[in-house]
Amino acid sequence: MATWITVGLAGAILLLLAVAMAYVLGWANQALAVQVDAKVIAVESALPGANCGACGYVGCREYAQAVPKGESITKCTVGGMGCVADLAKIMGVEVEQTWPYRPVVHCGATSDQRLQKTEYLGEPTCASANLVAGVQGCTYGCLGLSDCVVVCDYDAIHIIDGLAVVDYGKCTGCAACAKACPRNIISMVPFKSERIFAVKCSNQDFGKEVKAVCEVGCIGCKGCAKTCDLFEMAGNLPKINYEAYDPDQVDFGPVLEKCPMNSLVWVGKPSEKDLAAVKDQEVPDEIKADFKTSVDDAEWRG
Amino acid sequence: MEYLGTIVMIAVSTALINNFVLHYFVGICPFIGVSRRVDMAFGMGCAVTFVMTVAAALSWAFTFFLLQPGAPVTAWVWHAINPGAAETVDLSVLNYIVYIFVIASSVQLVEMYVRKFFPKLYRSFGVFLPLITTNCAILFACLEIMKHISGVTEGVHAWGLDKALIFALFGGLGFTLAIVIMAGIREELDYCDVPVSLKGPGITLIIAGILALAFMGFAGVDAGLRKGLSPKPEAVSQVVKETAWPRG
Repeated sequence: MATWITVGLAGAILLLLAVAMAYVLGWANQALAVQVDAKVIAVESALPGANCGACGYVGCREYAQAVPKGESITKCTVGGMGCVADLAKIMGVEVEQTWPYRPVVHCGATSDQRLQKTEYLGEPTCASANLVAGVQGCTYGCLGLSDCVVVCDYDAIHIIDGLAVVDYGKCTGCAACAKACPRNIISMVPFKSERIFAVKCSNQDFGKEVKAVCEVGCIGCKGCAKTCDLFEMAGNLPKINYEAYDPDQVDFGPVLEKCPMNSLVWVGKPSEKDLAAVKDQEVPDEIKADFKTSVDDAEWRG
Repeated sequence: MEYLGTIVMIAVSTALINNFVLHYFVGICPFIGVSRRVDMAFGMGCAVTFVMTVAAALSWAFTFFLLQPGAPVTAWVWHAINPGAAETVDLSVLNYIVYIFVIASSVQLVEMYVRKFFPKLYRSFGVFLPLITTNCAILFACLEIMKHISGVTEGVHAWGLDKALIFALFGGLGFTLAIVIMAGIREELDYCDVPVSLKGPGITLIIAGILALAFMGFAGVDAGLRKGLSPKPEAVSQVVKETAWPRG
C-alpha cells in the first residue's frame, strides 16, 4: 500500500511539474513573443546565407535586419546582381547599377624574383612571419605562407610559386583574404569587366631600394601617370582610379609599353585572345597550391 | 563572523581549490569547445554562471520542499493520504529527472525573457544558453547541492538557499576563470609551432592538464584561510565542523 502511494506521489509530482511548466512556457511563448518584420524574414531568405561578413555586418541576419531600416541593398557581394534584384523587389526600390567587388593581390613577384630572403624557421603563417624582420627583403610584398588560402571558404585563392593568386572563377568576393593578409596587399576592386587592370606591387620605397629587394617591383617612375589620367601617384606607387575606370573605352597599350617593370597587369578572366594564344599549351585542370618556402627545407622546427 | 567565514570558505573552495573544470573535470565540452577566443569564452562563462545560479536556486527549492527524505510538502501530503504512518516518504529517486526537467524549462523561459527585453544581451550570449541547458557542470552543481541537503543526517548542517547560491555562483565564476585562462593561452597558441601530431584537441587537452596541475597549488589555501578567519583559538574546532567540505 505504502509503495503504491509513493509511486503515485512521484507520478503526481512529475505530472504537476509537466503541466505547470508547459503552461508557463506556453504563456511565455505568447507573452514574450518578439515581433519580427515580415520584410526582414523575406530579405533574409533572399540572401545567400554565407555569413561571410563582406557587407560589413556580422552575418546575413544582421544585414537583413538593417535593409528595411534603409541600408543599401547592394552590399551583398556573394549574392551578386540576382540577389540585388530580389532585394529590390522585396523593398520596392529601383535596382542600382553595382559591380562585383573581387580581391586583387598587389604583388607580382614569385618567390625567386624576391631578393634578400633569409631562412625563416618560425610558424609557417604570414601573421607570425610578418612580426619578424628580414624574412624577405621586400617588407611590402606577399610572404606566400598562405594565410589567405586558409581563410578562403571557396577554395578560390592559392599560393603559386610563393605568390597568392586568386581564382576568379570560384571567388565570391567575401573579402576574407583581404582581411587576413597581415601586409594588406589584397584590396577589393570593383570588377567593371571580367578582366580588369591592376597594379601588381605594394612597395612604397624609392626605385633603388625596390630594385635591391625585387626583380619586378614598381620603381615609382610615374610613367603610367604621365601617359594616362586614370593613374595617380601615391607613395611612389601608381593607384588606379576605379571610379573613373570605363571598361569599354580605356586602351592600356601605351601604359603597358611605358611601364619598365611590368608592374601593371590584367587580372580576372582571360580574354579570348589570350585563350587562343595558349591553346596549344597543355594547361593542368587543377593547379596544386605550392606551399614550399624556405621553411620547408628544415625538417624539424621545434 | 562564523557564518561569514563559512560563506567565504565555500566561495574560495568552489572557485579555486575544487574548481569545477580543473578539479572535478565536469563541463569539459564547453571548456574545450568555446575557448578559442577570449571574448567568446567570457560570454560562455557568464552564461554558465547565470544558468548555474538559476538552476541551483530551483533545484534547492525542489529538493528541500519536495524530494529529500521527509521533505515538508511531500510529508504533509503523505500524512494526509496515509494517516498514522510510521515511516516517512522519500522521493530522492526523482532527483535527476526533476533537475534536468527544471533546468531545461527554466533556461527556455530565461532565453525568451532575455530575447524580449534585452536583445543586445541575447545576441551576445543567447546562442550559448541552449547549449548549456544539459551541461554536466550545471547538473553537477545541482547534485552537489542535493548531497548537502538530503545526504546530511543532522538537519542543522543541511545547506540553506544562501549556501547553495554561493556555491553555484562561485562555481560558475571558477568556470569562467578557467575558460578565460584557457582561451588566453589558446589565442597565443596560434603563434606557436605545435608539432603536427599534437595539433588541435591534443595540445588543448595537454594545456588543460597543466592548468589542472597548476590549480592544485590552491590545495593548501583553505587551511590557512580557515585559520585566518577564526579569531579565537577555541572557536576553531566549531568552524571546522561547520565547514566540513569534501576535499577531493
